[in-house]
Amino acid sequence: MGIELIMSLIFAAALLGVGIYGALSQTNLVMIMMGIELILAAALLNMVAFWKYLHPDNPAGQMYVLIVMTVMALEMAVGFALAIARFRSRGSVEMEEAVELKE
Amino acid sequence: MIISAQLIFITFFGLAAVWFGIVVFRTYSMVRSAIALLFSQTALGALFLTLQAEFLGVLQIMMMATEMSVMAIFMVMFMMDPGGLGKMDMTHQKRLSIIAGIVTFIAAVAVAVYIDWGPITTVNDAPTIQIKALGIELLGRSMLVFETAGITILTAMIAAIAVAIQPKGNINNNHKEPK
Amino acid sequence: MSVLSIILLIIFFSIVISYVLVLIQHWQKYRKIQLSAPMYSILALLGRESVVPRKADRLFFELGPALLLIVAMLAIAVIPLSPELVMINLATGALFLNAILAYVLVALIMAGWGPNGGYAMVGGWRFLGQLVAYAMLIVMPITAVAMRAESLLTTNIVTSQVGMWNIFYQPVGFVLFYFASMAMAFLPPFDLANASGELAGGLESEYSGVRLLIFRLGHILLVFTLAAATVTFYLGGWLGPYLPAWLWSAIKIVLVAASMFSIGHFVPRIREAQMMSWCWKIGIPLALFNIFLVGVMVVVFP
Repeated sequence: MGIELIMSLIFAAALLGVGIYGALSQTNLVMIMMGIELILAAALLNMVAFWKYLHPDNPAGQMYVLIVMTVMALEMAVGFALAIARFRSRGSVEMEEAVELKE
Repeated sequence: MIISAQLIFITFFGLAAVWFGIVVFRTYSMVRSAIALLFSQTALGALFLTLQAEFLGVLQIMMMATEMSVMAIFMVMFMMDPGGLGKMDMTHQKRLSIIAGIVTFIAAVAVAVYIDWGPITTVNDAPTIQIKALGIELLGRSMLVFETAGITILTAMIAAIAVAIQPKGNINNNHKEPK
Repeated sequence: MSVLSIILLIIFFSIVISYVLVLIQHWQKYRKIQLSAPMYSILALLGRESVVPRKADRLFFELGPALLLIVAMLAIAVIPLSPELVMINLATGALFLNAILAYVLVALIMAGWGPNGGYAMVGGWRFLGQLVAYAMLIVMPITAVAMRAESLLTTNIVTSQVGMWNIFYQPVGFVLFYFASMAMAFLPPFDLANASGELAGGLESEYSGVRLLIFRLGHILLVFTLAAATVTFYLGGWLGPYLPAWLWSAIKIVLVAASMFSIGHFVPRIREAQMMSWCWKIGIPLALFNIFLVGVMVVVFP
């Protein structure tokens, strides 16, 4: 019945829940990015579990995981560049203080 | 329900990944938070190795070590209390985020348990054949995806450097006080 | 041979070679060969008092040196010392070695942050800055080596060098990998992490007693592992005419490690800014050129 597949999906769901809690509850940009890393890791685990148990002879599953890993790294790089620029102009990266565009 | 060795390893590494993920947001010390995220991703890489995706597992372990260490130094640069000795609480909208986290968890578990995923195959090729097939797929049928990923990496590198570089006049008189 | 006997043989081999390497380091400092010198220093370190800093982060303080030792021993698992003497012949052996060596950085960050002292912390973060510079110079030469062998199995990489060793086939890659290994093992002149004159010992300054022994043991095993990796990828592993395979491995590893130790004496310590500028402006284009050249040669001379 595929108990291993369902266990992997449940752990990915737990990581997704923790990631969403982190991304929504933290005020600092770096901590929000850590939450987003957890969400993407949960998606990767789902993809690998589906590849392994449903289509193990198709290497396109692994290729898709490679592309998502690449995008994770890129998103972190650009996010940290934004953090540097923000810190240089305002002195902190707290998202609670980013209210310049609010009415 | 047959308890196979694979199920034991999946449970162990999965619990380790989730526990380290929770430690990331529960601890007060910032560097411990970054290193906990590193170990969570390593547990995930070990989980990939258990699921016999050898190349992906090793790649995940390698990439996440370097990325999370860079994240550790960014935490020390940008956060107010990297050692965690002040025990500050830096969260907002607590109830909303906990409810959102639990609702997504339950929804995802419901999707996982109640959908019939079809026939489960448990036989794969040896890792050497898998890696060769992945390489041929990446540079054969999916060459366009590979090239697009390459161009995207180059664009992101240029964008990150352009955003983070200091403007020419400010090299030596950039002493803004933090608010 | 059973797996357990292979593992014990490899551990014994690495301990003996590490003893020889410590003898070589001792000879460099004092110009005398004293066969019991490493044993005396082990006993001295075991007997000394272990000082723990006042407000140390205990978890990281204990875990740093232990993780360094574990990393060095895990990395030996995929290196073949002779056709049967390999602990786990992983299908992604060369990449696994690279992945495990990234955890040297994690171990040194923990060892730097743990003692809650200025010199150790600066040493740890300097090592991170170094790694950003030379991490690519370890991966790209390995890619070129795997291209020639058409496989990532370390045994296949060694057997692909039967005709001509990789040091003659890809000399640019050898030079880059050699210097990047010296930087990874924080040997002089890349020893910003535990700079003895400049940072009061850097990472080693706050450790004493048993923890310093584990740190130094991890360091010397790391040098052994990187020398073994250089020999496997570029110097033909166990290949050689008359002697048994493991003896050729041992001789080549000791020669490579001795040369790594001796280069540091003649060159001043390299600053981080210089290292980054050389690695990114000169090193990475050379590594990419090496991959291109090896690709062309593999197609033209099969």
